[in-house]
Amino acid sequence: MSGPPSKVLPAGSAQESATELSLESLVADHYGFVWRVLRGFGLTPTDAEDATQQVFMIAARKLDTIDPQRARSFVYGAALRVANNTRRGLRRRREVSDDEASSRLEPEERGPEALTELGKARSLLADLLDQLSEKHRRVLVLAEIEQLEVPQIAALEGVPVGTAASRLRVAREQFRVLLDAARDRNPFLEQP
Amino acid sequence: MTLPDPIDKLGERLFQAARREPLPDEGMERALLAARAELAAPRSKLILLSRPVRWTLIAAAAAALAAGVTLFARHQDAIDRISAEPASTLQHAHSAQAPSASAIALTAAPNPAPSTKPAPIFSAAAPAHSAQASLSDELGALKRASSALNAGDTRGALTALDQYDHVLKGTKMRAEATLLRIETLARAGQAGAASELAQRFVAQNPESPLVDRARSFVQQ
Repeated sequence: MSGPPSKVLPAGSAQESATELSLESLVADHYGFVWRVLRGFGLTPTDAEDATQQVFMIAARKLDTIDPQRARSFVYGAALRVANNTRRGLRRRREVSDDEASSRLEPEERGPEALTELGKARSLLADLLDQLSEKHRRVLVLAEIEQLEVPQIAALEGVPVGTAASRLRVAREQFRVLLDAARDRNPFLEQP
Repeated sequence: MTLPDPIDKLGERLFQAARREPLPDEGMERALLAARAELAAPRSKLILLSRPVRWTLIAAAAAALAAGVTLFARHQDAIDRISAEPASTLQHAHSAQAPSASAIALTAAPNPAPSTKPAPIFSAAAPAHSAQASLSDELGALKRASSALNAGDTRGALTALDQYDHVLKGTKMRAEATLLRIETLARAGQAGAASELAQRFVAQNPESPLVDRARSFVQQ
């Protein structure tokens, strides 16, 4: 019945051990998914890490009620809410003090010239995704970064498969137009 | 049904760059620590926290600002500057509130000669780093503290946290360490000390993902 011991933290009582295993597997299975999705939703690496922590803190509170089969849906929904709150907070801070906001810029925000090729690519991608509507951005992130199939995207988004497919088609069309318009910023343009 | 068109190669390479972005170092461990702290949270306190209390806390944060306390946007950066005194100092500062003899018995680390003027729980000055502890060292100390706390060994937890603060002079997981100390104090019956530490944490780290957790220990 009991699984392998915690790789991160020693277990306490038997009851705690059972709970901890659930929490550990939740974090281990979905940490990367949540963090990448939050990055795809426009958070900087540091903000994404903070937000990911919040997602799992929310999940911990609801651990007893999360259906293991739907754990990814749960953390995805929590990630959406946390991302929205984080972006609202960032906007407020920028309104309060532009100087402070600029001093908090991540390396990727300090100018393309200071970036590696991969950094430039991620920066460009973030700019392009920012120009999509939220619903199109979400399906594109799930399809192209998480490489999920349309039915999986539909399940996460809570929409019919046809709706998800339609949104994805539109998202890809819009993304392609934006990508063409930003061709000169694409670090991969001149490579075969 | 026709499948949506794939993104062209240039676009695909952008997404590939996103897929290959490395996850934060030890991010998973930090998330697990935070989640475990949340799991052990006293639920009723979270629920009872009313909006006026939140505004009181916000006002406290504003007052701290007015007093010249620098607030940092990144909770980690902020807490890096905080130097928590040993558990024994906390206990000394709040001994009047200690409800039981068992709380007094918590003195874990050897304490210098008691001063008539208790040292502040936090110091705005950056701690002196004689040697930089690795993240693994810091994580190890917090694991010991967390494990001891889960086993009901608050004394052991405070010892591990004192080691984190004063032997390792930990900075990388300061937020998690402070939250663990708050929880340990609360669990040890030192609700007043836990509340004071939590209030300072909230005031100085309003944007920390751990702030709600800390707030749940603030006494009304």
